[in-house]
Amino acid sequence: MEFKDYYKILGISRDATADEVKKAFRRLARKYHPDVSKEADAEQKMKEVNEANAVLSDPEKRAAYDQLGQERGFQAGGDFQPPPGWDAGFEFRGQGFNGAHTADFSDFFAELFGKQGGAGARQSHRRMRGEDHHAKIMLDLEDTYHGTSRSLTLRVPKLDSQGRTLLTDHTLNVRIPKGVHAGQVIRLAGQGGPGINGEAAGDLFLEVQFNPHSRYRIEKKDIYAALPVAPWEAALGATVKIPLPDGLVEVRVPENSQSGRKLRLKGRGIPAAIPGDLYLVLEVILPPAATQKERDFYQTMAQELAFNPRQNLGV
Amino acid sequence: MTLEIDAILLDDVTLNLDELARSCQVSREWVIERVQCGLLLDEEAVSADPAAWIFDSRSFIRIKRIIAVERDFECNPELAGLVADLVEEIEQLRACLQASQAGGN
Repeated sequence: MEFKDYYKILGISRDATADEVKKAFRRLARKYHPDVSKEADAEQKMKEVNEANAVLSDPEKRAAYDQLGQERGFQAGGDFQPPPGWDAGFEFRGQGFNGAHTADFSDFFAELFGKQGGAGARQSHRRMRGEDHHAKIMLDLEDTYHGTSRSLTLRVPKLDSQGRTLLTDHTLNVRIPKGVHAGQVIRLAGQGGPGINGEAAGDLFLEVQFNPHSRYRIEKKDIYAALPVAPWEAALGATVKIPLPDGLVEVRVPENSQSGRKLRLKGRGIPAAIPGDLYLVLEVILPPAATQKERDFYQTMAQELAFNPRQNLGV
Repeated sequence: MTLEIDAILLDDVTLNLDELARSCQVSREWVIERVQCGLLLDEEAVSADPAAWIFDSRSFIRIKRIIAVERDFECNPELAGLVADLVEEIEQLRACLQASQAGGN
C-alpha cells in the first residue's frame, strides 16, 4: 500500500490553515470537475482531491494523519503499513465525510479510516445497512443491440474478526439488457458495501456510458453514421449496402442527393422500449484524378455540365 | 464461483424518496427541500405526498451533481441546480455536435 501525501495532492503546505485547505480544495474541485474538465484523468484526480480533503478538512483525521506522516517525512509511495494502534487517542467522526462517497477512496484511506466510518464505527455494535456504491460502466454501442454480459471486479471492504477493514476482490457477471442507453442507471441489489452486524448489504448503482465509436455518433437513442457514396450514386440514385450495428442493410439513396443529406432509418437506433432512429449522413466521395483517363473524365464533365457550385454567391 | 446478476434499470424500477436519500447519503428532508424548490423533478411529477414521488435515472444523476456542487463549493441549492442545468445542456449540445460531425469525419 502506498502512503499518500495529501498536502501535495491539494498543493498546500503542512501548516495550511483550515481556510487554506478549503480554498485549495475548491480550486481543484473546479479544475477537475468531471463534467467540464478538459484534463484527461479528471475523474481520478477528483477522487484523490476528495480523499485528501476528507482527511485534511477534518481536524481529528488531519491530526492523526499528521502524526503518522511526520514519522516518515510524508514521503509518498513505498510500501506502507500503519503501526499498530496508530489511531489511539483519535475519535473519527461517523460516515459520510461531507457526503463524498468513501467507496471511491484509496486502499490507504480505507486502511487508516475504514470505508464504513473509521475507528468509531469499527468498534460500534449498532446495526447498519451497507453503504450504496456508485460507479460508471462503459459499454460499446454494439452491446445495446444484442444485450451483453459484463464481468465486473469490485473491491469490496469486509470487516475481519477484529473489526478491521480489509479490501477483497469480488467478481460478478452482469447481464446488461438490450436497448440500454447512455444516462441510464443500473441497480445491482446487494452489491454495494457490506451491512454491519447482520444488516443487508447496500446496492451498487452504475451509470451507463458508451465508449466512443469510430463510425457511430450517439445522441440519446438516435445513432448517426456517415454513408459514403460515389458522385453518380448521389446524382442518379442507387441502392447501396452498408453494415450497421444490427447487420448489413440495403439503403436507397434518392437521386439528386448532396453531401450532408440525412436518410432516416426509423426504429434502427438503440432498441429501447421506444426505439431510436438511425440516421445515415451522405458523404459524396470524389474519385481521384490521378491517371490521364480520370483527368479526361473530369475535363469532359467540366465542359458538358457547365456547372457552377458558387452560383448562389453571385460569382 | 462468479455470481450472475441481471441488471435492473432505474427507468424500469424507480427509486422512492427514502431509497434515493439513503443511496446518496443525504436526508429525506434535504431531498424534499430540493424537489419543492423545483430543482429535482419536473413540476407535473411532484404530487403532494413525497412518499409517492418516483426518481429515475435522470433524477439520480442530477441529484448526485447537485450534491457534489453544493458540497464542494458550499453553495446554495439554487446555484447547484443552475450548474446541473448547464451541465445537462452542455451534454446535449456536445452529443448534438458530435452527431452533426458524423458526415464530416
